[in-house]
Amino acid sequence: MADLDEIIHQPLRLRIMAALNALPHSVGLEFVKLKKLTGATDGNLGAHIETLAKAGYVAVDKAFVGRKPQTTVTATAAGRGAFARHVATLQEIIAASAGEGGKQGGVN
Amino acid sequence: MIDSRQASAALNDINDVVRRVRQSRIYHLSSLIITIWGVLVAAAYIANYTWPRQGYTIWTITNLAGLAVTIAVGVISNARSGTRSFPIRSLTTFLLIGAFGVFCSVVLAHFGLRQMIVFWALYGMLFYAIAGLWFGYAFIVIAVCTTMLTLIGYYAVGANFLLWMAAAHGGGLVLGGLWMRRI
Repeated sequence: MADLDEIIHQPLRLRIMAALNALPHSVGLEFVKLKKLTGATDGNLGAHIETLAKAGYVAVDKAFVGRKPQTTVTATAAGRGAFARHVATLQEIIAASAGEGGKQGGVN
Repeated sequence: MIDSRQASAALNDINDVVRRVRQSRIYHLSSLIITIWGVLVAAAYIANYTWPRQGYTIWTITNLAGLAVTIAVGVISNARSGTRSFPIRSLTTFLLIGAFGVFCSVVLAHFGLRQMIVFWALYGMLFYAIAGLWFGYAFIVIAVCTTMLTLIGYYAVGANFLLWMAAAHGGGLVLGGLWMRRI
């Protein structure tokens, strides 16, 4: 069984990657929207996005819309791949546990 | 390594976020369409109040304009998300709903102006309520509020009924669309 991705496994980073991965490839989420969808605070979200960006899992685009700064976060191809592998590993853990339960049930 | 209970909780968390993202995208697109329809129908009610004999022309133009804008928004939205397909299912759904409404209101029944106005407003809101069952409560809130205001107008408002409907139906859709955008 593959190891879990330690960067993605943290609960808030998992929610961030899940949100970004649910979008079409070239589409990102604004910081404010991502905050609402993940239920994070400003500081917390910023720190975790930075961790994901350093790992190459997300791209951060900062621009001005009118006079307001707007930060958009998009999942990279590497991030989408890592997220897919992480989800597959989670499913393997559940499947393996169900298999063990079945074996124990058979013995009894 | 985590156990299966923690893995299951993580997958549930992912599913919850994915559901929220999908709903947010539906609300984002719908809010724009609903707001545009709100402006169009408000203008149509006022025009119908001003030129009462031109009702059919005014509403035909309004519905065609609304349909064209809805298709344009759908096509642009699809293109932005990398899908080049024409929203043919949405268009077909819209045309079927419209055709059945015309059949009921013109062929089966012979409504007067007030009945015709109320029928189309309530008929439209019925589909908002149905959409709400699938896509999120905001559609139901808009449907319930607009339906109540329409019925109040039908039973309680006299000669200025069309102006009431401009505010209740058109204004209700505009406010509902703007509210949906903020959810």
